[in-house]
Amino acid sequence: MSEKQINTVLDAGTTWSKIVERNGSDKMKPYLNYMVKEENGVKYYILPSSELKKTNIIFDKATGHMSLNLINDKKDYENEVIALTNGFRKHVSEDSMVLDMGSRDSKWVLFKNGKFKDLDWNSSCSSSTGATIEMLLKFYNLKSENLQFNNEKYVITCGIFGLERIMDDIAKGEKSEEAISKFIHGIAHNAWVFAKKPEKLYLSGGFCENECFVQSLKQYCEVIPLGRFLLCEGLLG
Amino acid sequence: MKFLQYNFLMSENEKKSVIGFWGYPPPELIKKYKKDYPLAVWVDLDIDFGAEDKRILPDSYCKIVKNIINNSFKYKENLITILAPIGKDKCDSGWFASEVLKDLGFPVIPTVFEDIAQKKEIKISTSNLPLRQKFEMITANIVEEQQKPLKQIPPKFGFWGVPPNDLSILELFPDETHVYGWTRCVEAGAPADIELEMFVDKDVPTVFYSQSFCSKSQLAKYLADKYNGLYIDIDDVATNSTRAKIEAFLRLR
Repeated sequence: MSEKQINTVLDAGTTWSKIVERNGSDKMKPYLNYMVKEENGVKYYILPSSELKKTNIIFDKATGHMSLNLINDKKDYENEVIALTNGFRKHVSEDSMVLDMGSRDSKWVLFKNGKFKDLDWNSSCSSSTGATIEMLLKFYNLKSENLQFNNEKYVITCGIFGLERIMDDIAKGEKSEEAISKFIHGIAHNAWVFAKKPEKLYLSGGFCENECFVQSLKQYCEVIPLGRFLLCEGLLG
Repeated sequence: MKFLQYNFLMSENEKKSVIGFWGYPPPELIKKYKKDYPLAVWVDLDIDFGAEDKRILPDSYCKIVKNIINNSFKYKENLITILAPIGKDKCDSGWFASEVLKDLGFPVIPTVFEDIAQKKEIKISTSNLPLRQKFEMITANIVEEQQKPLKQIPPKFGFWGVPPNDLSILELFPDETHVYGWTRCVEAGAPADIELEMFVDKDVPTVFYSQSFCSKSQLAKYLADKYNGLYIDIDDVATNSTRAKIEAFLRLR
């Protein structure tokens, strides 16, 4: 039996879905307005997961919280950490770690001597990840480009307490973008601690596009952003 | 005598004679009660039978100890007694639960089983049985020991810890998974043997499990770091993400 062709893959996060389409597949044709780039005939899309739920597209392979109804067979579903690991393999040198910061969780995978060594997945606390930042930006009518690295950080043991700090400081007259930047700095510090304080970190996920976060993380380690499609690349094989 | 480990419908007669216990009460005491009450149904109060939450313990608390309290109420009318381990063979929470239940009017016999001199040979933890079955057999053997020849296999993975509240996570593991930690101590008939509890085969990729809010999480996290294993703690039932984390560990290691 010939091996199944994998041409259209999906990483369906809680808020955003990332899709990669190749080999002339045109399943995503109705969603061309969500295409964010095209390289060597490979198309990359990002669209709200809520939008994707309305479609009847069936993907060749998928990962992520929201993808189970968008594949034909359970076998076409891949564990998120496995997808991340497979996507990261081509970037692995001797000792490398990738951290994926998602909308509601974060996970890292560590390679030693070029081989998988360890992983962790902060799967339950959603308070301090992407969805919270998006809500804050919407609430204060800001864009992530408005945020600049702030040397101060909130010590965030819980995102809810972090939100309280933001609101307190804004009530005292601080600019909302400055308070949110301190919050993001706190998240970056937490992410670095969660990843066991590495000297160098490859970053995956939506936070790659948040310059304030990347700059904050760079206070603690070298950061190499790999963009939002690493899990999709892991699905393509 | 019957041993109730999982959901089980009891007849009216049987309902009149329940012996509740948790952890591993001393074998001589179990023997005495089996002799005195040959028709008694033995109920392992550690297990999640879906009993109503009486809200006696804080929301954020060990689910196993919550099971103990809530199950005691579930079987209250039928209890002959509760054999209640309070020593190093269980945990401080067991000790406190014993006092709380006594104060609430339950017939409680506090027990201590800290003898580690007489250890039984390990045969179930290292067998080829599915992991969940290993746990079920080890815990069932506390009251009624079954002697079965079991094929021994070398470990591909390890599972360290107490029997989880959500036993279904054990189904994620291959049969070539050895049991370590407190459950292995129970099989050895030495639930207070801290040295055995901390033993693992150092080259076997092992998941170190603790029930959330359990003091054994100290050991689980420490040993996971020491042996490069995976530390997980689960409160009630495992989330999809926790399951996926275990699956990833098993596939990538």
